[in-house]
Amino acid sequence: MIRDVALGQFIPGKGIVHRTDPRVKIILLIAFITLIFCAFNFVSLAVVTAGIITTLALSEVSFKLYFKSLKVIIFIVIITSVLNMFYGTGDPIWQFGILKLTMSGIYRAVFVSIRIVLLILISSCLTFTTSPTDLTDAIERLMKPLKVFHIKVHEIAMMMTIALRFVPTLLEETDKIMSAQKARGADMDSGGLIKKVKAMTPVLIPLFVSAFRRAYDLAMAMECRCYQGGDGRTRMKTLHIKKLDVFCIIFAALILAGVVLCDIFITPII
Amino acid sequence: MSFISASSVKYRYEDSEKNALNGVTLKVNKGEFVALLGHNGCGKSTMAKTLNALIIPDEGMIYVDGMDTADDEVTYEIRRNVGLVLQNPDNQLVASIIEEDVAFGPENLGVEPGEIRKRVDTALKTVGMYDYRTHAPHKLSGGQKQRVAIAGILAMQPSCVVFDEPTAMLDPNGREEVMRTIKTLKKKGITIVLITHYMDEAVLADRVIVMEKGEILTQGEPEKVFSQVNLLKKHSLDVPQSTELAYKLIGAGLRFSKMPLNVQECIELLEGALS
Amino acid sequence: MSIIEAKNLSFTYGLKTPFEKKAVDNISLSVNEGEVIGLIGHTGSGKSTFVQMLNGLIKPTSGQVLLEGADIWSKPKEIRKIRFKVGMVFQYPEHQLFDETVYKDISFGPRNKGLSESEIDDTVKKAAKFVGLSDELLKQSPFDLSGGEKRRAAIAGVIAMDPDVLVLDEPTAGLDPKGRDLLLSQIMQYHRERKNTIFFVSHSMEDIARVADRVMVMSKGRLEMFDTPKKVFACADKLESIGLRVPEITKIMLTLKDKGYDVSDSILTVEQAFTEVVSLLKKEGKL
Repeated sequence: MIRDVALGQFIPGKGIVHRTDPRVKIILLIAFITLIFCAFNFVSLAVVTAGIITTLALSEVSFKLYFKSLKVIIFIVIITSVLNMFYGTGDPIWQFGILKLTMSGIYRAVFVSIRIVLLILISSCLTFTTSPTDLTDAIERLMKPLKVFHIKVHEIAMMMTIALRFVPTLLEETDKIMSAQKARGADMDSGGLIKKVKAMTPVLIPLFVSAFRRAYDLAMAMECRCYQGGDGRTRMKTLHIKKLDVFCIIFAALILAGVVLCDIFITPII
Repeated sequence: MSFISASSVKYRYEDSEKNALNGVTLKVNKGEFVALLGHNGCGKSTMAKTLNALIIPDEGMIYVDGMDTADDEVTYEIRRNVGLVLQNPDNQLVASIIEEDVAFGPENLGVEPGEIRKRVDTALKTVGMYDYRTHAPHKLSGGQKQRVAIAGILAMQPSCVVFDEPTAMLDPNGREEVMRTIKTLKKKGITIVLITHYMDEAVLADRVIVMEKGEILTQGEPEKVFSQVNLLKKHSLDVPQSTELAYKLIGAGLRFSKMPLNVQECIELLEGALS
Repeated sequence: MSIIEAKNLSFTYGLKTPFEKKAVDNISLSVNEGEVIGLIGHTGSGKSTFVQMLNGLIKPTSGQVLLEGADIWSKPKEIRKIRFKVGMVFQYPEHQLFDETVYKDISFGPRNKGLSESEIDDTVKKAAKFVGLSDELLKQSPFDLSGGEKRRAAIAGVIAMDPDVLVLDEPTAGLDPKGRDLLLSQIMQYHRERKNTIFFVSHSMEDIARVADRVMVMSKGRLEMFDTPKKVFACADKLESIGLRVPEITKIMLTLKDKGYDVSDSILTVEQAFTEVVSLLKKEGKL
């Protein structure tokens, strides 16, 4: 059944990472991603890795779940690293026809695979520890300065909020529509791709009609609750930078400094 | 002075040839519980939407707490003061967390964050959903969702709540939960307009108004309205089974001091007749 | 003759996960051809899962559904054929109406069944007539219909497949009293002519009392009672203990009986109650 598909990987908890301000978390994620790609030698890479592993350990989310999130991309990691292995320049260690394995190729492969793994781990850490609502909220607040460029930040955030709210409802509805059409003998499982797509019409049309109906109702309900756009609106939950957030920022700054110093004083490998 | 006062209200939808409201005059007093009955398409839902300025009458006037609903300046003050709860509970909830949804109204009104928190907690406690404040709406039952929708309205601190068939999509348990909540609001002195086609809900009101073809067919205390069994049956409206039985017995020559509206009253009257 | 039978039918959601939940728990029953079965129970009592096992939308985790003596899952690849024999109308017509016109929409089922064009035309018109949809309405888009008309179009879409067993899930929910009475009488008229078996799922005890030959009472996945409406509704205490109620009029007469008055405990309609009370009043010399 479709509704069993887990959406948004948020895992409720009360750990340090959970309690950190979502805005700070987003900024730190961006910082970490930049660092991952700025580590040009093994020492700086080790510093970033250590930083990320520490963050994961502090997140109080079981490592099993992190491994699960890696499972999906394991093939990408293998393929890219194998390709990179043979792309290096310099003296070949081993050669077979046009395939030549070089030391720089091996380094490159190791770097690429470690980078992808770190990228996935740290992004998962954000989604595991931050509820979708908090994420939307933080994005709205971080994007506020963009108002200067006439970007409708509040409207974008409102759309994200509503989308998050209605995804589970519409999935459940899809399930019910499929049952109703199957009960009329609709065949959705056999035949080729084109036949299958065609067989979805009786499901998609009621789904769209219902989505429009819901949108109409929701707009009316929002009017009933005095919605007038973002101007003059206040929020129940205000975000304040706490001591904890400052510590997180310092922690990230230390890692940043470490990576920059290592990059300056140690010769780059790739 | 009446809280709501509508005089000869007429309204026609753009794509329609008939008036949805064809000269409705009604008054609702502060703290009163009024039930609006009638068929689908009799104009009762349209009437509900005129009360919080979602629909402005083509002819006639509606005053809410002394404010003209046609006056743009006070539209949001009217909507804050007269909350509207709709039929489908799913389509009224905006946020993926209950308490944030309840906060939506006061946030729109620009209320201070600390005050919003207080209002949200009070509203959720009133409808008995406080323990669910951090849950996601899609995991709740229909009755629970509808109670959250009511809390969302209450957080705007209205003095009147209009319910447009709030139980039509609910199972009997959900209906009971919502009706219990409506009774709680009534006790708190909130004016209630309940649109329904369930007779057992209408009998709880102080006054019942029956609409037909955009006009008021009859109105009065539930006992008076439901004793007009013939009129209601002629317009294929339901009558509580207790009332119908009593009506038939009166027709057969029995005398009752009053019309029963529920099982309890009916039994008492029958016992009186038999002893 | 029994047309449909359940044998130790059970279904568990999320089997072998932490969310395991027994929705239907060991139900056995046999329904005769031409019977109208009322099915009552709370939301979550398993009634919805139970009826979806009857046409193979849900595969039982254990037990069998026998249609005319044969297990419907004996050939899993042909389960789709069962859906034409056991027709099911879900609660919300909005979940099934999709085609350009009501006519085309009703013909969706018969077309899936593989009927010829002339057979389709025949069966669509017949089905539309049963539920009182005029030729004019058949040409309209199903999205322009009123709530009651949509409900009837959805039912027509299923009876056009000419099923031997028809399952109606909450067919009157959300309709006003006028629409409800009309729909109920059309369904019963159809039943009298087609003489097929009907499962009628409803929260309305008054509706169940009006149409059912036998009533299934489900609670927490189990079949609590399965008997005639008179016998089922006479057990008001038992129904109330599982959170269900009896029709208002039945409740009145049962209370009178409890208080020692000589009235029947199997009253289902206001007319029956009236006759009963009048004869009692006459006997006591009060009328």
